[in-house]
Amino acid sequence: MDVTIAAVGARLGGRWVVDGVDATPPADVLTGLLGPNGAGKTTLLRLVAGLLPPGAGAVLVDGAPVHELPRRERARRVALLEQESSSSVPLTVREVVALGRTPYRSLWGTDPDEAAVDRALAAASALALAERAWASLSGGERQRVHIARALAQEPELLLLDEPTNHLDVAAQLALLGFVRSLGTTTVAALHDLNLAAAYCEHVLVLSAGRLVAAGHPGDVLRPALVRDVWGVDCDVLEHPRTGRPVIAFHDVAAPADVRA
Amino acid sequence: MTTGVRTPARAPAVRPAPAAGARRRVPLAVLVGGGVLAVVVTVLVCVTVGPAHLGVGEVARSIAHHLGLDVAPVPRLHDAIVWELRLPRVLTAAAVGAGLALSGAVMQSLTRNPLADPYLLGLSSGASLGAVAVLLLGVTLLLPVAAFAGALLALTATLTLARTGGTLTPSRAVLAGLAVSQLCAAGTSFVVFWTAKGDSYQEILSWILGSVAGATWQSVAIAGVALVAVGTVLLTSAVRLDAFAFGDTAAAALGIDVDRTRWTLMTLVALLTGAMVAVSGAIGFVGLVLPHAVSALTGPLHRRLLPVVALAGAVFLTWADTLARTLFAPRELPVGIVTALVGVPVFVVLLRRRGGSAWT
Repeated sequence: MDVTIAAVGARLGGRWVVDGVDATPPADVLTGLLGPNGAGKTTLLRLVAGLLPPGAGAVLVDGAPVHELPRRERARRVALLEQESSSSVPLTVREVVALGRTPYRSLWGTDPDEAAVDRALAAASALALAERAWASLSGGERQRVHIARALAQEPELLLLDEPTNHLDVAAQLALLGFVRSLGTTTVAALHDLNLAAAYCEHVLVLSAGRLVAAGHPGDVLRPALVRDVWGVDCDVLEHPRTGRPVIAFHDVAAPADVRA
Repeated sequence: MTTGVRTPARAPAVRPAPAAGARRRVPLAVLVGGGVLAVVVTVLVCVTVGPAHLGVGEVARSIAHHLGLDVAPVPRLHDAIVWELRLPRVLTAAAVGAGLALSGAVMQSLTRNPLADPYLLGLSSGASLGAVAVLLLGVTLLLPVAAFAGALLALTATLTLARTGGTLTPSRAVLAGLAVSQLCAAGTSFVVFWTAKGDSYQEILSWILGSVAGATWQSVAIAGVALVAVGTVLLTSAVRLDAFAFGDTAAAALGIDVDRTRWTLMTLVALLTGAMVAVSGAIGFVGLVLPHAVSALTGPLHRRLLPVVALAGAVFLTWADTLARTLFAPRELPVGIVTALVGVPVFVVLLRRRGGSAWT
């Protein structure tokens, strides 16, 4: 899906949390959305998902403003997984994934494509979990099931808000490798710059609501940018096996060095 | 360019065996079929119970006769007992039980509060105030009309209060409902304290505790029409209610209009509850306990829960009312006392069995 973020802005509590962002995440690959806490990553994802009406500009999906699409149609094309998505409802894994079929169901709840849930479970390698209670899953399994729920929406655009939070290193690598292999246009907010460098084809860097850099991680994640945006001194090395950039953090930069 | 998610085209034919922590759900058709059967048997059996001894066959023949079927007639006295006295009461109890259980289940989801019941938004207190105005102050309105008007006024006050200066969140709705309930209860207490004397105390108390003793075919019509009309809309909203399982943002991402859905469903639940309160007073515990008991059987998805909880509510309240009129015959208890007596132990058992898993 072609996504164009055109001069988009959002005001929350009188402040521009996202301010004039122009970007085009490339189709069919994983794009990392980077930036320190409070940079506006979550708000930008909500704007791209069409859940928040923009205060300025627009997000276009295949040329149409996403927030003006009918809700059901939008939910069939764009899936958003929020950060820390939990539920006290005692559902099974299959029932959780079936929630993704909501925008396809009739008034009485019938699904025109009964096999879609199994396909989504299989795609997320979660078929073996299908009859388990959601509450009994580990953190990594829960994220995988969440992604299966999003896949059940059969989206052309997948938006993930910090999907690797609270996962152990193996689960983080497995999750991003799996997301990358989907071949779906995906934008994922990430905190870990090394994960972004290893798995993303493209990164967008936000700072205080503005887009400050965009491009291939090897070109974008340079020591000067990391110091400007995160206020951290670092060296960028080359991964001995993959050739991808590895960011070796050194120390919090002295305040005078930070242009903010 | 448009690229969907690439997934294997065919689902595996064999599902893996349930692993640890697996749950099996009874098929919905079995639960609904069983529930319908239980309602029919309950109605037929409960009509036979009472001082005049009747058989199930006689009851069925009397009903069939009135429905215009060609059956051997029943003696006139028995026919009158069935058709004029017991059947309207039993059917009212069934409809009210179904309506309250359905309202309770939807209200618990809308407010994300396992303690929610249909009266949470101040409906029963508003209805009580309307009823007391008729019974004691001599306001010239039919009792059900006054009770329904009171419930609607209370609901309007609650929703207005809850929406001032913000969106309708569950906690704002609950707090506004609490304020309105307290105000109406104070009004009711004042009127009762100031004017009630002698027998009217018992009449008021029986109304406030809830009773279907005065049920007529008119009550059946009010409760039945409200149940079918509102119940149908609620059943078709089950998919949207399920979408709230992971919160408001997740529901919005699944294409749900969160604010409008919550507002519409709260209003519908209030209309249904208002109609039930108008014919029977504020019967407690049905709307609180039944959704918990039934969801242990159906699972929490509303597509499964709502039809079954309505059927279970009908069976439960019909038997509770039959107990209420026979336990200390010829004296009658308000059915609200029986539902509490039965409901509390059930609630305690559920609380112990479910532990911390669902109610944290």
